Amino acid sequence: MKKGLTYLLFVGLTTFFSYNLTIKYLPNFIYGVFHYKMKNDHNINDNELKFYNLPNDKSKVVVMPNPDFLYVVSFYDLRNGPLNLTGKMPDSTYWSISFYKSNTINWYVKNDKEFKDNHLNIVLSKSTVDLDLNSSTIIKSPDEKGVILIRILIEKKDEESIKFYKSIQKSISLKKIL
Amino acid sequence: MNFFNRNNYLISLTLFLISLFTGSYLAISNLKSSTEKRNLSIKNGNWIVNPKMDLKDDYQRAYIARIGLFALDDKEALYFLSSKDDKGRLLSSEYDYELIGLAPKGRYWSYTLYGDDYFLVKNKVNKFGINKENFNPKHNIIISSTEQKNNWLPSGNEKQFHITLRLYNPSEKVYKNLESIKLPIIRRLEK
Repeated sequence: MKKGLTYLLFVGLTTFFSYNLTIKYLPNFIYGVFHYKMKNDHNINDNELKFYNLPNDKSKVVVMPNPDFLYVVSFYDLRNGPLNLTGKMPDSTYWSISFYKSNTINWYVKNDKEFKDNHLNIVLSKSTVDLDLNSSTIIKSPDEKGVILIRILIEKKDEESIKFYKSIQKSISLKKIL
Repeated sequence: MNFFNRNNYLISLTLFLISLFTGSYLAISNLKSSTEKRNLSIKNGNWIVNPKMDLKDDYQRAYIARIGLFALDDKEALYFLSSKDDKGRLLSSEYDYELIGLAPKGRYWSYTLYGDDYFLVKNKVNKFGINKENFNPKHNIIISSTEQKNNWLPSGNEKQFHITLRLYNPSEKVYKNLESIKLPIIRRLEK
């Protein structure tokens, strides 16, 4: 009887903790799977940019992609120093830069209207590092690792527009600051 | 001392693994309903919207990660999602639907269809959405598996699908009236 109650308590507590841990860490798990897929299926290492075409029904990397966006994705790792994100962005359409923690929280987002001009020049650094760079916007990441996601909107999908915005997308670069 | 003999150890290990699996299974299968029960989504007719994407609540975060990984903070964009028509029936490509009404005002808006797996719906013409730019305001949007003359949103061959209305940089009025702002009615067309 006593033994049965012990087992019952054991099962109840384990189920309870397992339930709550799954809810808490599911975002980190999904992030981890995405990171693994990018690294192994797409050969993208940390601090490298991946330029995506407009999503279609074969785009199965991230759920609910927006078919109007050209995406640029990177997994950043600031352990070896800050990163410089540069590019000449479009001045005639919506675009935005967002950063995510490894628990998928969107901790930073800024769109084209909030930037001074269409010359992107961002330095991403650890929160503990102090930098003095006049020409760049310095953003301090709460964590050493996370995701950079750039969205460029293409509302009119004629060949010329797609070609134009793709050339803009490819102008974006991410480099370590030496 | 007796508790730690070989049989007890095996029973404990088996129960531990079963409990771990059960806990995880319950968590994932209850995620959606738990989120709704905890009022983390706002309902507006048959549409739901998840404000506060950066919420610290574990349920909200898990729910968003599952169906909208890397969604934007609500200050930047709102995502309205519906899986049912105006009579509460699940959306399916067996039927045609009409979207009656306009999207709320915002810098950019779009309607996109997703299959039950939350990926874009496969269709012959590779058209996955209708946005502010390619929408013809003289006609309602028609969701159908067969080609339509105006504002056609192909539903492919999906037993069940979801429709998302994205609203980028919406007006303050939208944020203040998420439960009551006028959203399009999804009406099933009788064949």
